[in-house]
Amino acid sequence: MDLFFNLAINGLATGMLIFLLASGLTLIFGLMDVLNFAHGGLFAWGAFSGVWVYDLTGSFTIGVLGAIVTGLLLGVLTEWLIIKPVYGNHVQQILITLGFMLVLSEMLKVVFGPNPIAAEPPAGLEGSFQLGDVILIKYRLFIILIGALVYAITFFILKKTRVGLIVRAGVMDKEMVQSLGINIRFVFMLVFMAGSALAALGGILLAPYSGVIYAEMGMEFAILAFIVVVIGGMGSFTGSLFAAILVGLAQAFMAYYVPSLSLAVNMLLMAAVLIFRPQGLFSLKGGA
Amino acid sequence: MMTTLLKLEGIETYIDQFHILHDVGFEVPKGEVTVLLGRNGAGKTTTLRTIMGLNPATQGSVTFNGKDITKLPPYKVAKEGIGYVPEDQGIFGDLTVGENMRVAMQKEDDSTHERMEWVLNLFPDLKTFWNKPGGQLSGGQKQMLAIARAYMNESELLLIDEPSKGLAPIVVEKVMESIQEMKEKTTIVLVEQNFLMASRIGDRFYILDDGQTVHQGQMNELEKDESLKKKYLGIA
Amino acid sequence: MTNLQMNKSTMAYTLCAIALLALPFGYDNRTILFLITQVFIFGIFAMSYDLLLGFTGIVSFGHAMFFGIGAYSVSIILDRNEPTMFYLVIGAIVAMAIAGLVSFIAGILTLRLKSHFYAMLTLALAGLFLVAAEKWRSLTKGNDGFVLQIPELFRDRTNLYLTCLISLIVLFFLVRRFTQSPLGRILMAIRENEQRVESIGFDIMHYKVIASVVSGVVASFAGVLYILSLRFVDTSVFATEVTLDALLMTIIGGVGTLIGPIIGAGIIEFAHHWLSELSDVHWIFERWIILFGIIYILAVIFFPRGIVGSLMHMWGKKRYKKHNQTKNEQKKVAS
Repeated sequence: MDLFFNLAINGLATGMLIFLLASGLTLIFGLMDVLNFAHGGLFAWGAFSGVWVYDLTGSFTIGVLGAIVTGLLLGVLTEWLIIKPVYGNHVQQILITLGFMLVLSEMLKVVFGPNPIAAEPPAGLEGSFQLGDVILIKYRLFIILIGALVYAITFFILKKTRVGLIVRAGVMDKEMVQSLGINIRFVFMLVFMAGSALAALGGILLAPYSGVIYAEMGMEFAILAFIVVVIGGMGSFTGSLFAAILVGLAQAFMAYYVPSLSLAVNMLLMAAVLIFRPQGLFSLKGGA
Repeated sequence: MMTTLLKLEGIETYIDQFHILHDVGFEVPKGEVTVLLGRNGAGKTTTLRTIMGLNPATQGSVTFNGKDITKLPPYKVAKEGIGYVPEDQGIFGDLTVGENMRVAMQKEDDSTHERMEWVLNLFPDLKTFWNKPGGQLSGGQKQMLAIARAYMNESELLLIDEPSKGLAPIVVEKVMESIQEMKEKTTIVLVEQNFLMASRIGDRFYILDDGQTVHQGQMNELEKDESLKKKYLGIA
Repeated sequence: MTNLQMNKSTMAYTLCAIALLALPFGYDNRTILFLITQVFIFGIFAMSYDLLLGFTGIVSFGHAMFFGIGAYSVSIILDRNEPTMFYLVIGAIVAMAIAGLVSFIAGILTLRLKSHFYAMLTLALAGLFLVAAEKWRSLTKGNDGFVLQIPELFRDRTNLYLTCLISLIVLFFLVRRFTQSPLGRILMAIRENEQRVESIGFDIMHYKVIASVVSGVVASFAGVLYILSLRFVDTSVFATEVTLDALLMTIIGGVGTLIGPIIGAGIIEFAHHWLSELSDVHWIFERWIILFGIIYILAVIFFPRGIVGSLMHMWGKKRYKKHNQTKNEQKKVAS
C-alpha cells in the first residue's frame, strides 16, 4: 500500500511540474494561436538561474523569486523579439521558436557551464515524515501544494477578474475582443510573461526534486508538456491540470512497473486522444 | 444643420492579395440609420471591417467625429466610440450573457449603469438569461446580445452586419424594432440584404457594387426606383 | 520555366556533378573528402526535409527519427549477419520500409489537424525513438553504441564518396521530377492555399501523407549512408540536433528549392568543422550552434527565402515583374 502511495505522490509531483510548464503553453496557444517551442527553454532557465540565486543567497525562497523574475524578463524578451515579428504566420512561428529554444539551451551552457548542476531541497523541506505506515517525502508534498496553489490562484484570476474575463473571451474570439476596445496585444504580453514565469517556477521546483539540472531538461519536459496540451485540449487551462496529473501518474507507475515503456505510455495516450478526440479531453472551443 | 459623424473617402482595401474595395466613400449623418445595400460579395462586410480597422484600408481615409481613424488598430477604433456587431455576432459562447456584456464595459460608472438599464429594458430576454452561456442562446437572442454588448462599449455609432441573417421572420421583426429604438440613442450603419426591413428603418442608403459605392440617396426614393433596385439588388 | 532555362540549370548541375565526380582522383586530402561525403549525405537528408517544409508546408520536428531508423536498421542487420552487399541491401530495404510505415502513421494521425500537431507529434515520436534506442540495450547496445563491419566495397573511401555523390545526384533528379509532376504541383498548391485545393475536390490528407512518406523514406536512406561512412552507430542519430541540422540547412540554403538545402548542408558541415577546430583557440567556438541559431532566427524573420531562394528571387525579379505586368493587363481586360 505504501508503494502505491509513494508512486501516486511521485506522479502527482511530476504532474504538477508538468502542469506549471503546460498551463502557460496552453494559455498562450489558446489566446494567440502561438505554439511556443521555446517554452521548455524558459523552464530550464528558471531552474539554472533559480539554483544560482539559491546557492548565492542560501535562501530557497529568494531562489524561487529569482527564477520567477528570470521567467518574466525572458518572457518579455521572447514575446518582443521572437513572437512579434512573425505574428500570424504559423510555419514561421514554429520554426523560429524552435530556433530560439536551441539558442536558449546553448546559452545556458555558456552562462552556467556545460556540466549538470546539483541542487538540494532547503533544510525545512528535507526528509520525510511518517503517516501510519506510509512514508511521505516532504519536498514532493511541497511541490503538490505549490501546484495546487498556482492552479487555484490562476483559476481565480481567470474566473473572477476582468483580465481573466478578457483572456477567456480572447481564447474564443480575439477579433471580437479587439472590436470591444481591448488591446489584445497587451493582454497577450501579460499572458506570455505569466506563462513564462510559471514555466520558470516549474524549473526551479524541479531542481531539488530531481537533485540535478542540465540544459537538455528543457526539451525533455517540453515534450511532456506538449503531450499534456494535446491530451488536455489546446487552450484549456483546467484540461492541462488533469492531463498533467494523468501523464505524471502514468509516468510514475510505468517507470516502476515497466520502466522501458514510461515515455511510450504517454505517446499512446496522446495518439489515442488524437484519433478519438483531436480537440482534446477538455476543449474550450467546444466542437473543433 | 446635420452633422456628419462618420465619413469614408476613396477607400481601397486588400485582403491578402485580393483587391476587395476599389473606391468606397460615404457619409453617415448623426442620429440616422444609414443602410449599405448590394449583392453578395459587393464588399459590404469588408467596408465595416475596414472602418473597425480589422482589414485596414491601403488608400483613402476614414474620419469619425472629425478625427482620422484610418490607421488606428481595432481596439482604438472601438474606444473612439464605434461598436461592431459582426455577421456571426461574435458571441463568446462559453461566457455567460452577463460576462459577454462585462467584456465590453471599459469602466463602471453611472453612465454605464444607465446604459445597462436602458439596454436591458429594450432586451428583457438578456436579463432573464443573464447567467446562461452565450452559446446556448437562440439566434435572435444572440443578435440582441451582440447589439446590446456593442452599445455597452460607450458607442456613439453602431456597425451592424446583417442582423436578419438566418433568423425566422417573426424574430427579424423583433430585432428590427429594437434597432429602430436604438436609433434614439446612437447612430447606426446597417448592412442588410432584407430590403423590406432595410427600407422600413433606414433613412439613407448607399449601394455597393464590386467594391465601389455606385449609388446613394434617401431610402424612400429608392423604394420607388424599380430600375435601380433591379440593377443592383436583384429585386423585381 | 522555359525549355532553354531548364537546360541551363540542368547543364550547370551536370557540370558541378562532373567536377565533384572527378575530385577524389585529383585531390587526396582525406579529411576534406570525408567532409564532402558528409555533405552529400546531409544534402540528401536536408533535401528530404525540404520536400516536407518547402514543397508541402509541413513542419516536422522529428526528422532525426527517420535518419536514426535508417542508421539503426542497417547497423543491426549488418552486425547480426555477414557484412555483405546482400545484407546491406536487405538492411536498406528494411530501413525504408520502417521509415515509410512510421511516417505513414504519424501522417494519418496529425496531418488533418493544424500544423502545430504534426510538429509536436513528430518531436514527441522522435523523443520516443531516442529513449527506445537508449533503453533497448539488447538490440542497440544503448548509449555506448557499437562499431560494425561493412561490405568490402565501401571500406574504400573513394568508393563511398562516389556512392554517396551518385545517390545524391540520382535522388536530386528523382525528387525534382517528383516535385514537377502533377502530384508535386498539387503539393505546392496545398502549401499556398489548402482550402482552395480542397474545395476543388482533392483529398488533401492523401497528398500530404504521400509527401510525408516519401520524405521519411528518403531521410532513412540518408541514415543508411551515414552509417556506411561512420561504421559506428549510437543514439546520437536520434538526437534533436540532427533534426535541427536539417532545419538549419534547409532554411539557410533556401526553402523549396531542393538545391538550396544541399548547399546549406555544405555550409553547415564545413562551418561546423572549422568552428570546432577553432575551439582550441577559444571555448566559445565549441558553442558554435548559438551562432547558427541566431543566424537561423534572423533568417526566418528577415531572409525567409534562404541563400538560393534570395538569389533566384533577385535574378528572377525583372522577369517576375514583367510576368506580373502582363498578368495585371490580362486581369484588366478580363474585368
